[in-house]
Amino acid sequence: MAISVKVMRRPEAGRTSYMRATLKGMSLTFKHLLRVKKVTLEYPEDQPDLHPRWRGTHRMEVHADGRPKCVACGLCPTVCPANCIRLVGGEDDQGNRYPIVYEIDEFRCIFCGMCQEVCPVEAIHVGQHFENAEYSRNRFVYDLDRLMEQDHPTTLLWDPSDPRSE
Amino acid sequence: MADSSRRADTVTLTIDGHEVNVPKGTSLLHAAETLGIEVPHYCYHPGLSAPAQCRICLVEVEGAPKLQPSCVTMAQDGQVVHTESPSAKRMRQGVLEFYLVNHPLDCPICDMSGECKLQDYVFDEGREQGRAREPKRVFGRDDFGGDVLYYGDRCVMCTRCVRFMDEVAHDARLTVVERGDRAVIDTFFESGLDDASFAGNVVDICPVGALVSKDFLHKARAWDLDHTPSICPNCSQGCNIDLHARDNLVQRLKPRENQEVNGHWMCDYGRANYEWINRAGRIESPGVGRSGKRRAADWQTALGALLDRLRESEGAGVRIVGSPLASNEALGTLHRLGRAVGTVTESVFRCRRTEDEDPLPGFPLLVRRRDLAPNVDGAGILGFERAGSDDATGGLGAAASHDGILVVLGDQLGDQPEDFGADASLYVYLGTFDSPAARNADFVLPVTTFAEEDGTFVNAQGRVQRFEQGLQAPGSARPAWLVLGALLAALEGGNPPGSAADAFAALAAEYAAFAGLSHDAIGTAGAVPEPAHA
Ligand code: SF4
Ligand code: SF4
Ligand code: SF4
Ligand code: SF4
Repeated sequence: MAISVKVMRRPEAGRTSYMRATLKGMSLTFKHLLRVKKVTLEYPEDQPDLHPRWRGTHRMEVHADGRPKCVACGLCPTVCPANCIRLVGGEDDQGNRYPIVYEIDEFRCIFCGMCQEVCPVEAIHVGQHFENAEYSRNRFVYDLDRLMEQDHPTTLLWDPSDPRSE
Repeated sequence: MADSSRRADTVTLTIDGHEVNVPKGTSLLHAAETLGIEVPHYCYHPGLSAPAQCRICLVEVEGAPKLQPSCVTMAQDGQVVHTESPSAKRMRQGVLEFYLVNHPLDCPICDMSGECKLQDYVFDEGREQGRAREPKRVFGRDDFGGDVLYYGDRCVMCTRCVRFMDEVAHDARLTVVERGDRAVIDTFFESGLDDASFAGNVVDICPVGALVSKDFLHKARAWDLDHTPSICPNCSQGCNIDLHARDNLVQRLKPRENQEVNGHWMCDYGRANYEWINRAGRIESPGVGRSGKRRAADWQTALGALLDRLRESEGAGVRIVGSPLASNEALGTLHRLGRAVGTVTESVFRCRRTEDEDPLPGFPLLVRRRDLAPNVDGAGILGFERAGSDDATGGLGAAASHDGILVVLGDQLGDQPEDFGADASLYVYLGTFDSPAARNADFVLPVTTFAEEDGTFVNAQGRVQRFEQGLQAPGSARPAWLVLGALLAALEGGNPPGSAADAFAALAAEYAAFAGLSHDAIGTAGAVPEPAHA
């Protein structure tokens, strides 16, 4: 089969100028230059407003005497879909059940917030926090002390005035 | 159905619209069970008497003036029973609400959570909200001695524990003190349950978290445990048990019902001795060459080299040291291998023995035996003789200085001198832990414990019982029957056994005591071999 060749003709010189397109682009640029709406946030001087249901790194609530509120019930490691909570339960010197080991691998966590939802004693919470830079990967496994030290606001999983989102 | 009900010894009744035919004298609760209908119950336990006091198994029987306790009402011909009728359900809901009036609902910190009957029943049929507004009474917890802790707040007063100690252990050490909502279970004397050798069973039968094990306290959640049917390895009674494991470690042992062996029970000695199964520091890879020149090898290299040595020494005298902790499959295949390479001049095992037996008076079949190992009888059937003293030492003089082939399986040789086996022409050590007495071994082969393999034991009643693999073996440790079976097949031709069932089939073909048995025939309940026909 013969190949048919269609010869395209170049447009004339006057119609190939880029001038028009450039001007069009520049006009858009100037329009935005004069527009007052600012979207850039001057972080870190300005901090973003996190949504109350923002789910970030965890925080363990503590009792007034400094003990963790966790009673090592084992529900959060059970419910966690990412399997990133490690718990070894035991008994403290006052006969209370408490977590001897409680670790969350924040890298494996998918921030679903189910641990907070399932906790019967409101101990573990996801937090309104996002600044997590570290110098090494293993610093992202938060142990019990680290979780108790966190002081960022905890997440609201639902609006208390409308718990069923009705 | 219709004609069988006319027979004198059975009755036919209808439960929840299903007709069922049961032997005369069966309780409604049991009859319902045969249909797969569970009637909630606390005080009733199949191994104990039925006082009908918990009031939660009440069912509606047509024609009866009021609801009947199904645990003590015997099935009668033509009875029509409703376990799910509105009145039965309303009553159960009411009873459950009463149980919760003083119940702490400690589930997050309660060890029973996940296997608790109160939790289950309330979850299934309880009210969504309790109506009691009065403060709950609080007892705190009581150390009953032994391995048992008592949380009085959680007790539902079923008295199973009291009846177990009285009726089965014949050692009434528990009782109910006080009355009404102040009633608690207590011990008579300061010593409590100390030195009672079957008291651990009260933890198993307590339907709630009132009696818990100190050893298991807060250790693991019920739903995190993998259950494997197994045999207690701590004496030759061979109680049927479940291994409860988590993170590849045994967390506790629980009895598994077998009316021919242990009923619903097991002894405290057996229950407590599981830590050795979890011991770390195992041999993880095969080693070739005597100590000093020993190097790690893979299985193929090690077995290849071992085969060459076995072929070279064909016809030599063989001495075997086995272990009553090893399965029939391992011991039997070992003995067959010994006979395939030479003449077995001695095959022995050593076993720890206690002074006395310890029977459970209310269930005479269950006795904690003198031999503290599970397969003494199996070793006997397979041609092994007992050697050494009652603390499993000594008795290996001939083996230690043997100059032919020496094979040790499973015995840790803790008491043996460092030159054990130094004169042997070939010394093979199959074990779980290294030992100074294995330093002269030409081959050190890592094998699995009973928890890491399938197999069978023969208990003191002559019953062949199966256990299943519950843990992953460390490193490249392999079941002994697999290793020995591969060697045997290479020497004699034929296929190596692919499973413990294959290895057992080879034994059944050879040993009259196992004739006609197979892993399938043994099943989960075990089997007693038919006496060989003369
Ligand atoms: S937020 Fe979700 S994934 Fe992360 S720890 Fe909690 S349960 Fe696990
Ligand atoms: S759910 Fe709460 S109490 Fe339970 S283990 Fe997790 S943090 Fe502890
Ligand atoms: S006994 Fe059962 S219902 Fe009571 S606290 Fe324990 S798990 Fe919960
Ligand atoms: S301690 Fe357990 S077994 Fe004993 S009466 Fe209470 S609930 Fe029943």
